[in-house]
Amino acid sequence: MMSDREEIRGCVILKSLYYVVEDHTWITVNEDGSVTVGMTDVAQNMAGPILHAKAKKPGSVREKGKPLATIESSKWVGPLKSPVSGEIAEINERVVQDAQLINRSPYKDGWILKLKPTKLNEELQLLLTGDAAVQAYREKIEKEDLKTCEHVEGFEP
Amino acid sequence: MEDFEGKRILVIQTHGVETPTRTYSPLFYAMAAAAMEMDVMVWFTMNGTNQLKKGEAEKVKLDPNSDVTLRTMLEQAREAGVKLRVCQQSMALWNITKQDLIDGVEILGATSIIDLALNSDHVMYF
Repeated sequence: MMSDREEIRGCVILKSLYYVVEDHTWITVNEDGSVTVGMTDVAQNMAGPILHAKAKKPGSVREKGKPLATIESSKWVGPLKSPVSGEIAEINERVVQDAQLINRSPYKDGWILKLKPTKLNEELQLLLTGDAAVQAYREKIEKEDLKTCEHVEGFEP
Repeated sequence: MEDFEGKRILVIQTHGVETPTRTYSPLFYAMAAAAMEMDVMVWFTMNGTNQLKKGEAEKVKLDPNSDVTLRTMLEQAREAGVKLRVCQQSMALWNITKQDLIDGVEILGATSIIDLALNSDHVMYF
């Protein structure tokens, strides 16, 4: 049976998600048409223990590639770029209270926010999923010689 | 988080390689502002100028166990869209020529900095 996940240098990639590999972001499309957005395992590893994830307000309309939130660790600060265009619908309050949830569970409990997408049909084709995502991530990790993923206690892929 | 897109922040850095603990934070704040979609410029003057000389920032490391040097921070700031500018007059203080500067740094004179300060939404001075 084919595995639904792959590990590259210890970094977990879930094949079911859609990725913008360059920006280390993922989305999943929910039944109600919203999309959930998060950071990848590679991103949480590069950032180290995350101190704050400050999202723009619900109702903010963002084009693909524009910042949705500012992610801050003790050694890095940068934007979470929007994988698709849309309106911020919901912010994960658990992550607001405890940003290290992103380190512990980048693909599940550590999701950052939900969007109401406005161009999903056309933009979803620009994202990578399944084996194509794994291959693209493998190339990026090797090309940039990204370090092996270290996982905190309680990590869940 | 409030939306501060387009606000202009000017960070003035007067500290250099001889005081490593005063070098990282201004760049970190600049990167945070850039991540918040602000228009950010770091102006290096006085001692701040010396970190822009090729080969100098690589020697400054706050955490001995980390690969990150001041040069890494400068590079990350530039990649994040932070504009790096140096005071022309202070370059003479350190015998730095245009060729000595790391890539991506533009030279501006004193009049420009006054102009920039007056046209910024906020100035942070270090």
